[in-house]
Amino acid sequence: MMNREELISKWLNNDLNDQELEAFKMLEDYDDLVKLNDGILAFKATEYNTSTELEHVLKTIKTTKKQPTYWLKPLMRVAAVLAICFSVFYYTTTLDTTMTTEFAQKTIIELPDNSSVNLNAKSLLAFNKNSWKQERDVTLEGEAFFKVAKGSTFNVITKSGTVTVYGTQFNVKQREQYFEVICYEGLVGVRYNSQETKLKPGDSFLIIDGKQIAKEKENRSTPSWLNNESAFKSVPYKEVIAEFERQYEVDITLLDINSNQLFTGSFAHNNLEVALKAITLPLHVTYSKTNRTITLKRE
Amino acid sequence: MTKPLHENICEEHLFSTIFNKYAKDLHNFLYYKYGDLLNPKDKVQEAFIKLWENCAKIPPEKAKSFVFTTANNLMLNETAHQKVVLKHQQTKPKTYTNENPEFLMQETEYMAKLQKALAKLTEAQREAFMMNRVEGKRFKEIAEILEISTKAVEKRIYGALEKLRKDIKEL
Repeated sequence: MMNREELISKWLNNDLNDQELEAFKMLEDYDDLVKLNDGILAFKATEYNTSTELEHVLKTIKTTKKQPTYWLKPLMRVAAVLAICFSVFYYTTTLDTTMTTEFAQKTIIELPDNSSVNLNAKSLLAFNKNSWKQERDVTLEGEAFFKVAKGSTFNVITKSGTVTVYGTQFNVKQREQYFEVICYEGLVGVRYNSQETKLKPGDSFLIIDGKQIAKEKENRSTPSWLNNESAFKSVPYKEVIAEFERQYEVDITLLDINSNQLFTGSFAHNNLEVALKAITLPLHVTYSKTNRTITLKRE
Repeated sequence: MTKPLHENICEEHLFSTIFNKYAKDLHNFLYYKYGDLLNPKDKVQEAFIKLWENCAKIPPEKAKSFVFTTANNLMLNETAHQKVVLKHQQTKPKTYTNENPEFLMQETEYMAKLQKALAKLTEAQREAFMMNRVEGKRFKEIAEILEISTKAVEKRIYGALEKLRKDIKEL
């Protein structure tokens, strides 16, 4: 004789034979089971019409016009490789050519179109060879003299302002709190604080500590530094000192000296003793020198 | 399935065959497991549309698993795991000859208890039990749908029955 659980399990699975069915009917909870079983039927799932639902699905599929995606993955791989190749190519070709000079160093740079740049000490010049034909843009930090061949617009971009020219000679000096452009030939436009100033030969544009300073006509044909000499006309003394430090790679300390007083004069780049005298004597200043440190003191 | 290997579900006739074979079971499975609130019909649709979108990647013999798993996941994404209360159908499965008011009241009470008891079953118990009792599926068929052993199905269904009876008595 089967036990109750087995009978019920067989009943659940529709597996009872006649004899077992009789035994099942003899169970004391037979009535309860049948009642439960009948009750359960009321909880039947809502009607599901397979063919209507299939129509819906097929319609949706056709309207979305889904392309099988199995070709997409390999295509993406190819695209990724191409993208990497392109970016490497793009990166290397657009890489700027950069020239820098150290203390007491000057250099001449030939640009791709025969324009030339003389770069003064402690300066940086960057330009892009590949886009040169489209735009003649150079980035400058420090001081440089440009001889620009005739052609399209030539831009010198500095932190202080942008200098735009067409074929000319001019000098740009951009140092801390100091921005000076002198035009030697042709016509130069200086864009400073989004205002453009046009310079004719001999004109200069000077900004010190954010203020524009008027200067008299320049009558040299090239900047003095190209001849290894720095010349100043009414320039704050601290600028003279800064230039001196760049040319001789020294540290200069000022004791009891007004660094804003104006200085007119020049110093040579090839003789420290003579140069020191040149910047101290006119102001009645004495100097003492230990190694690369120089102290200037009022007499 | 005895379809040739190279056939894939992207062919509409095969897709339709698969749909006809499994859609109803899938719908009932979702209905008994999660109730009517989360639209089992929509989930069946979505699952089969996903099957179509991936038709090139899924061999026909994996199609059933794919739609069941997908539909189940779609449900899980939505359910806040609240209690599943199955609805009575409007039509009574049985016509009673002795419908006096007291009997009717008792009957209504019983159905309410049954409804509560069904809600108290686990999802696993309820899906197996209802497919067996209401849809008349045998243990083996349910085992195939749920991809578990026949023994496990039997245990679930028997467990569900015992639990229902206990809960109805206590309510």
